[in-house]
Amino acid sequence: MSGIVLHDIQKSFGATKVLRGVSLSVAQGEFLSLVGPSGCGKTTLMRIIAGLEAVSSGAVQIAGRDVTALRAADRDVAMVFQNYALYPHLTVRQNIGVPLMMRRLSAAERIPFIGGLLPGVAEKQRTINADVANAAEMLGIGKLMDRKPAQLSGGQRQRVALGRAIVRHPMAFLMDEPLSNLDAALRVTTRSEIVALHRRVGASTVYVTHDQSEAMTMSDRVAVMMDGLILQVGTPEDIYTNPQDLRVAAFIGSPSINMLAAEVAPDGHVTVGPVPVGVGASGHGPAILAIRPEDIAPHATGIAARIEHQEYLGESLLVHARVLDSGEQVICRLPPEKRRQVARGETVHLRPDPAKALLFDGDGRRLGSRVLSLEDAHG
Amino acid sequence: MATVADWGPASCPWKTPMADVAMQSPAVKAPTARARTLRGDAGIAWLLTLPAILAYCAMILLPLLAVLALAFTDYEFGARSFRWIGFGNFADMLGDRSFSASIRNTVIYCLFVAPLSIGIALGLAVLIEAGARGRAFWRAVFFLPVVSLTVAMATAWQYLLHPSIGPVNALLRMVGAGTPNWLGSSDWVIVSLGFIGVWENVGFNLVLFLAGLTAIPRELYAASEIDGARSGWSKFWLVTWPMLGPTMLFVIIITMTRSIRVFDTVQTLTQGGPNNASEVLLRTIYQEGFHYFRFGYSAAITLVFLVIVLGLMLIQTRLIDRRVHYG
Repeated sequence: MSGIVLHDIQKSFGATKVLRGVSLSVAQGEFLSLVGPSGCGKTTLMRIIAGLEAVSSGAVQIAGRDVTALRAADRDVAMVFQNYALYPHLTVRQNIGVPLMMRRLSAAERIPFIGGLLPGVAEKQRTINADVANAAEMLGIGKLMDRKPAQLSGGQRQRVALGRAIVRHPMAFLMDEPLSNLDAALRVTTRSEIVALHRRVGASTVYVTHDQSEAMTMSDRVAVMMDGLILQVGTPEDIYTNPQDLRVAAFIGSPSINMLAAEVAPDGHVTVGPVPVGVGASGHGPAILAIRPEDIAPHATGIAARIEHQEYLGESLLVHARVLDSGEQVICRLPPEKRRQVARGETVHLRPDPAKALLFDGDGRRLGSRVLSLEDAHG
Repeated sequence: MATVADWGPASCPWKTPMADVAMQSPAVKAPTARARTLRGDAGIAWLLTLPAILAYCAMILLPLLAVLALAFTDYEFGARSFRWIGFGNFADMLGDRSFSASIRNTVIYCLFVAPLSIGIALGLAVLIEAGARGRAFWRAVFFLPVVSLTVAMATAWQYLLHPSIGPVNALLRMVGAGTPNWLGSSDWVIVSLGFIGVWENVGFNLVLFLAGLTAIPRELYAASEIDGARSGWSKFWLVTWPMLGPTMLFVIIITMTRSIRVFDTVQTLTQGGPNNASEVLLRTIYQEGFHYFRFGYSAAITLVFLVIVLGLMLIQTRLIDRRVHYG
């Protein structure tokens, strides 16, 4: 049984096209992150999955059921909001219990005082309380049950929001930047807690974030969105080492990938300026050579650049250099002990690792490339 | 070497309380510094509140005390002397037919106007807020009665409700219903005035509710939708109603006090008639004080009026405040 399937989703707000044909499938039990810069449409896409926003065209399936026309309440999804959206007038226990109250009690049974007198309500209330207590126990907030949201810290509120989501065992979880309101230290610990919670609960999860480190560390797969399109979906490793679009390559990774103007010669040899880089490609013309900072290093021969600045990070050293011919900036990640071997103002020759070099055409599409031995190139 | 004592007040003749605060040096012993800062701060605080205190005393406290004193005298405007008559004025009230009528009518008026104007305003506010467009238009339309001059509007109402030439009765005649003398019959007059009161208050309450509604985070409605609140009705009870609590408390208090103070429509339309059927508290006070010049008696009724208003506010805040959630 499949988890969430989106088929060619389009969404416009007035004349503004926010989503321009998004297709995506999230497997049962999979943790998928939607990552992209702000305004790329990822939150809109999530709200469409939730049923809070209607599609302009396209279809949404959850657990094999077409839910495109269904309301949020009927889709069996739970959502954790960026600012948690807890009901401020209800206690933690009541907040977590709301989804159960709404589903298990009729409108008449929910009326304060009078509803409780109807037959069977006391029994239902008991099972609700038991389920709420279970969810709270799982999140370690059992002691906070009688507090109001205003009396909780950010991290505690976040747990209550998670509790409200897991309490009814939904088919899918949607999380809209749930960590962005936490401080940095808490964010890192909560990441692993959410992943652990996801493993225990096992429902398909779509996690929206603009923070690539969250996406990379938490997800089974990552979908990179930009300008209303999904550019690439893949495992975090796949996205990092094998980006299919220059924008994906540039968005993922910190410091971001180096981009050098290159030329594919008629014989297929790729050169950066006059320097062959040991990479071959089919076709010829201008191209862009993208290389991660850890895959380019000073060498006896290579692209001549002047060192402008270095950052010592403890576990590594970032060397900022400027290519002499083109003026492009390059960042190299070197082992920290190289610190004494490179000095500001010095000219070095940088050689990208041909096996790791990525080649893109002028439109940012990935080009096929192969490793050539440099001797071939020189020959 | 300069010591702490060198910096004492004696060596600083230019020191004002203000400078005292600004010139605190860390070298000064802690308790002294604290005491001095407190004294300086308190002094400045009193100085700054002085204009407000004076205005409050002159405009509110003194007149209140005067009313309080007058209530126990038989003073009449222009009289050369007065006697302390203890609770005599209050004893007179018990036997005063027009006073008891005014109390009864004011209560009926309040019980009519407050729930209706609050309920209608809340309903309209929710509808307007839910509507896609025209929010400013509807708000303006319903707020018009509030900004228009009641006395001027009263003439319009007089025409509308006129038993023979009024459009209201013309309409009723067309559908074959009875045509009561809205402002002239003692059975209908308080209801008619009540309707005008509702018309006056709805716009005011509506604007307050609209402000309260816009302050509710949209995310809560999204959350309630996901949590399974399908109907607008259940969203209203889950989100809107509790989140409007503080607004509701304020609206109830303001509407009650506004309707207890009803005067201008009564004075212009019915003068308390027919046969005291629309006599209200404020008009009785006015009548006794400025028509019969019985200042003592008028002050005594004012005191009763004040006690009722204060009592109402106390009950409301005590009762409702406990159940209201603030932010």
